[in-house]
Amino acid sequence: MMRVWIKFAKESPMRFLSHLDLMRVWQRAVRRAELPVAYSAGFNRHPKISFASALAVGVTSAGEYLDIQFTKLLDEAAFVRLAETLPQGLKLLDWRQIPEGTPALMSLVCAAQWELPLQADECRHLQQAVSELLSASSLPVEREGKKGIKTVDIRPLIYSLAADEKESCLRMLLASGGEGVVRPVEVLKLLCLPDVAGRLRRTELYVASGQCFFEPMAVLLN
Amino acid sequence: MVDYKLEFWDKILPRVQKPTRYLGNEVNAVAKDLSRCLLKVALAFPDLYEVGMSHLGLKILYSLINDHEQWAAERVFMPDSDLEAILQNEAFPLCSLETVTPLAAFDLLGFTLQYELSYATILQMLRLGGISLLALSRGEEEPLVVGGGPGAFNPEPLADFFDFFMLGDAEETLPQVLSFLEQNRHLSRAEKLRSLSRIAGVYVPSLYIPDFDQHGSFLGTTPLHANLPRQIQRAVVEDLDAAVYPEKFVVPYGSIVHDRLVLELFRGCTRGCRFCQAGIIYRPLRERTPAKLKVLAKELVRTSGYDELALSSLSSGDYSAIGQLVTELGMELAKEGVALSLPSLRLDSFSSQLAEQVKQVRKSGLTFAPEAGTQRLRDVINKNISETDLISAATDAFAAGWTGIKLYFMIGLPTETDEDLEGITALVRKVTLAYKQAGCRGKPRVTVSVSVFVPKAHTPFQWAGLIGRDEILRRQNVLRQSLRATGAQFKWHGVEPSLLEAALARGGRELCAVIARAAELGCKLDGWDEHFSFENWQQAFRDNGLELAELAVRQYALDDPLPWDHLASGVTKSFLQKEYELALAAKVSRDCRENCLGCGMSLLLEGKNGKEGKGACHDARLD
Repeated sequence: MMRVWIKFAKESPMRFLSHLDLMRVWQRAVRRAELPVAYSAGFNRHPKISFASALAVGVTSAGEYLDIQFTKLLDEAAFVRLAETLPQGLKLLDWRQIPEGTPALMSLVCAAQWELPLQADECRHLQQAVSELLSASSLPVEREGKKGIKTVDIRPLIYSLAADEKESCLRMLLASGGEGVVRPVEVLKLLCLPDVAGRLRRTELYVASGQCFFEPMAVLLN
Repeated sequence: MVDYKLEFWDKILPRVQKPTRYLGNEVNAVAKDLSRCLLKVALAFPDLYEVGMSHLGLKILYSLINDHEQWAAERVFMPDSDLEAILQNEAFPLCSLETVTPLAAFDLLGFTLQYELSYATILQMLRLGGISLLALSRGEEEPLVVGGGPGAFNPEPLADFFDFFMLGDAEETLPQVLSFLEQNRHLSRAEKLRSLSRIAGVYVPSLYIPDFDQHGSFLGTTPLHANLPRQIQRAVVEDLDAAVYPEKFVVPYGSIVHDRLVLELFRGCTRGCRFCQAGIIYRPLRERTPAKLKVLAKELVRTSGYDELALSSLSSGDYSAIGQLVTELGMELAKEGVALSLPSLRLDSFSSQLAEQVKQVRKSGLTFAPEAGTQRLRDVINKNISETDLISAATDAFAAGWTGIKLYFMIGLPTETDEDLEGITALVRKVTLAYKQAGCRGKPRVTVSVSVFVPKAHTPFQWAGLIGRDEILRRQNVLRQSLRATGAQFKWHGVEPSLLEAALARGGRELCAVIARAAELGCKLDGWDEHFSFENWQQAFRDNGLELAELAVRQYALDDPLPWDHLASGVTKSFLQKEYELALAAKVSRDCRENCLGCGMSLLLEGKNGKEGKGACHDARLD
């Protein structure tokens, strides 16, 4: 048995794949690479592959993660094969073996880093709005759920927010799991940037260990 | 120059419902540098991606062309309404999937003619691609538009829109056509078409004209020049093992209609069902060897990552080594977690052993097609299946663990009476009883699926008409009433699409204007309930002085010239006529593997390779 976390990028044109499509792509890629993926027991057997966090259709990412279980120990060559059989737009960036019994990556992820590329002048104009937003004591947003409209204060869930003039982008570290979830579009709306969701990019996911955030590839597990 | 790809991916795709259908870029898709290719072919399927991508013929031609280093084949499908509206409003041309190249930039644009209800969609795709609808008004720079597939055996309703058609196996004709085009780029359209007409299986409709007498009665279709053949012979691939078969299937992102690998066991069928066009136009029977099939299966699984493989043919139980193949292939595939499925099993070839083998990997749905409810009517259509066959197949299936079964019938077959409809109910009762006899408790799920018989060109029933709207409704009703007490689920096909299919299937060139008008009125994707508009089609017929319902029920006299008489399937008209007469007398014909019936196919092969006389096609198979 071997359990592995895989880090990958989802670039255009793969950004158009839904969660379900992406799952199918990985299942087939694993089969093409002839890797012995483990299957669940029971009547409706499915391969033990899961994603760390769903990503909206249309959004690109440089930091997506996959949690896979294999029936045998695999070497580096196996992952090279897997990387080579991926369709254009999916890139295998890194992999690590993790101990059996580690909780599902999905349950560990607590924050996501987002970037929105901007024009230089857009970026300058945003500074004011960003600092106002950060100095607010609460930021109530309305969400439509099954039980009607609910108001959530997202201020404590925005861990950092900055308009980086040097790199011309807006960078956000938002809660994603753990304490709650902030959708990047909610922040963009508060900044009066509603029409740019198609340019959003997720750059990293984080898991918490003690008081600190770590990239999944760097966190200590036991 | 417009960067179509950038524009399409960045500006258009984010706004459509299912972008993965238009994305291309799938695993095993072939995107060549078109500027370095000598010949660019767009392979068009006039339906949505999910349907077109399930079609084997497209995959075969895709491989055949792309295997050639300097030829490129790219796919294009009909966009759904959301994308269609965007393309139209923003004057963005319909493009191929692979390199997002406008259709107009290809040398050849090929449409597969799989069913009549896709004909209006072809015109919509030409329009969206910015290609002139009428072949005669196309400019020198526009692609040649070619059609193939079963519809090419009566292409007259589409004659005005196509530069040429290919009859029969394209594996045989297409390489010749492409080589010619590659070497003769300098020729004008007209010169190219004249030369292409010399290739066996190529029909250039502009070189043939329908003749009429002074009363407007159709006299036949004749060539414009004396050096053209009076009849175009269909092309036949004789050795399927040597023919191209795709070793890599393009793997879609979203799920498609048949989302699995397909392995074609053989082409052709020897059973001789009288309603079946495929049974005529794919003669003779040609098998792939088990060795070849096993190699292909392994390669397909390895390159795709699929976990299901279907064995396909017109009647898979007739494959001469079916038991051995299913056992051996099933075992090999099971090791890799790949399920083997076996659609298209005639119920008289279904055995408990086969049932067990298929079940080992995955229990797929089971469909049997008795087609008609009484022995008399099954004799009329030459289905050659008995009630005992059905009951024993059902018993075997139930004993092997199936709990449900789907039975497929047609209504409106020639000579059908209400007694035949009652016969369907009687069969369903006996199938339900067989469940108990197989030792199962409770009741099986029986689904009765009933379609309307639509007579097709080049079959023994080509002279018969559809039974007509009121009569279809009445018979469906009779059946619904009588099936009620059996507890079977009743599924039926809509009347109106069948009427349209019948009107288009056996028409002549007068229908070109009708289809053009229907497309103008917005008809498209007529196989889909949500798009089909019977009113628009009726209007399109009326605007051309024709009545859809009348054409659907039209009968031809045995000595009438037919709009497809100048196109030869290899089976002679006199054979079809003899079969029609036997049908009306409820007399059966044997499987032609047992006894050559002299259908004419052997003559076609004889002309080709010197094999002689009766049964030559079967003998050829044994060589």
